[in-house]
Amino acid sequence: MIAHLINEGEKDSAVQLLLEWSTETSFKEVIFNVLEPVLTELGQLWMRGKISLAHGYISGKVAEEFYLMAARDQEFNLSRNQHQGTVVLGNIEDDFHPLGRRLVNIYARSAGWKIIDLGTDIPAEHFIEKAIENKADIIAVSAMMFTTAKNIIKVRQELDKNSLSGKVMLAVGGAVFKLRPELVTEIGGDGTADTAIGASDLFETLLKQKMSDF
Amino acid sequence: MNSLERILAAVSGDDTDYQPFTLLLSLYGASLIKSDTTAHYRDAALWYKGQRAVIDTFDPDIVITPFSFPIEAEAFGSELVFLDHYGPNVKKPIITELSQIDQLTVPDLELSPSIQFFLKCTNFLSDDFRGNKAIASPIHSPADIPALLMGIEMWIDTLLFHPKEVEKIMEKTVEHFVQFGNELIESGATFLVVPVNFTTPMIITEKIFNHLLPYLANAFRQIKGPIVIHNGGSKLMPFIHYFAKLPNVIAFVLEPTESFDEARQIIGDQVVLMGNIDGPGLLNYTKEKAQEITLKILNNRKADKHFIFATSNADIPYDTPIETIQTVVDTIRNFNKY
Repeated sequence: MIAHLINEGEKDSAVQLLLEWSTETSFKEVIFNVLEPVLTELGQLWMRGKISLAHGYISGKVAEEFYLMAARDQEFNLSRNQHQGTVVLGNIEDDFHPLGRRLVNIYARSAGWKIIDLGTDIPAEHFIEKAIENKADIIAVSAMMFTTAKNIIKVRQELDKNSLSGKVMLAVGGAVFKLRPELVTEIGGDGTADTAIGASDLFETLLKQKMSDF
Repeated sequence: MNSLERILAAVSGDDTDYQPFTLLLSLYGASLIKSDTTAHYRDAALWYKGQRAVIDTFDPDIVITPFSFPIEAEAFGSELVFLDHYGPNVKKPIITELSQIDQLTVPDLELSPSIQFFLKCTNFLSDDFRGNKAIASPIHSPADIPALLMGIEMWIDTLLFHPKEVEKIMEKTVEHFVQFGNELIESGATFLVVPVNFTTPMIITEKIFNHLLPYLANAFRQIKGPIVIHNGGSKLMPFIHYFAKLPNVIAFVLEPTESFDEARQIIGDQVVLMGNIDGPGLLNYTKEKAQEITLKILNNRKADKHFIFATSNADIPYDTPIETIQTVVDTIRNFNKY
């Protein structure tokens, strides 16, 4: 039913339906047993090219609105104990293409990651500042084009300058890395994921890598 | 049989002396004459010098006027960033709030340097090749330009939740498309090439597509020449049947993974199909790989008289070895179609 409403672009109806179910059961019940399985299924369909970016966008909006409602629910907050790690996320300086980043936020958050989303056009120094402030495990940087992907080098330079390389892992993503995978290492990234739904697996790999190094 | 006659024969389904072809070498002209890529996209005479080198080297049947959508977006006010060996990109969207759509103005064809660049390049090609080669002029679909002007996320959000703003911006982009498209034809283009990157099943839902369809029909109907729909790096199927019914559409350039046979089943035998070797992919292909893919496509379309071999997706990259491109051309010329 939820998937059908998302397919039809009926965002408000989908959120309303989730809300009704959560009143009958709980936010936790609906998120874990309905919303997250639907998000996973839609994400997989998207990866296989079976649904459009617009479908992904609507599902992201539905999840975003429902998570915000859940976040205001005390019972839900107490019950949510799954925590994988902390990720500082943002589009690099001069990059104004937020869709991929927003989807990473939705999917990674639903997989238990604490996400600090800084938004678009973020200078390298700000990523580092927020990573230190939040004791982040990973900085995840998104760039759509070659021109902006090159700015990610500055994040690596800042990590080196602050002796954080290896302690805070650098995940990179965006359309340009799918077209030119060699860019990941060229700009100093520790890893990438092809899709937003794959970001959680990437974060897990990077976290293990970080732990094995220390 | 000259190149134009060869292309017209493919359109009408008549025999040709050899398989007609085209390659997207708009950027590669700069590579052949070793010119600076910023100047290449600013100086029409220099761009044309590069295209002359392309024509002298590869002699394609269709020559293509500049393929750069960011420059078309620049005509609306977008700021560009230029990179060595690459085409320019839009630096940041000019629309960041929906209310800004009201201030968006349709580019003045006479006064916009960006538009004048396209028109002058078309004139140069036409002066030398009208009647001898087909001249294709790329122009952004009116339903795709908003994605460049406001970014893809904001455009999808607008399409989903703000129908009045869609109407406002589409009125302006349709007006621009009709004015600019007809001016390109007036300047010598044989047909327009309309990439539809953001109007495909990979990007939007069928419901959204159907909302945009009347705007596309209205725009295409007013164009005084034929239109080729280009995949733009996205898949056309299963929306291809909608495009096929639009006014003036005579051909489709398929994406490299799409099947010509499947397209034929959907849209029939009379429409021209083009493609589908991956243009950007040529950078990394060996000569043997390029030949293998070219032959596979040619053999698949051997009996198809409404077929024009073409590169799909974006421009062939600047650093592509000339031998790789020459292998594709030689394979086409040596192929015994009949």
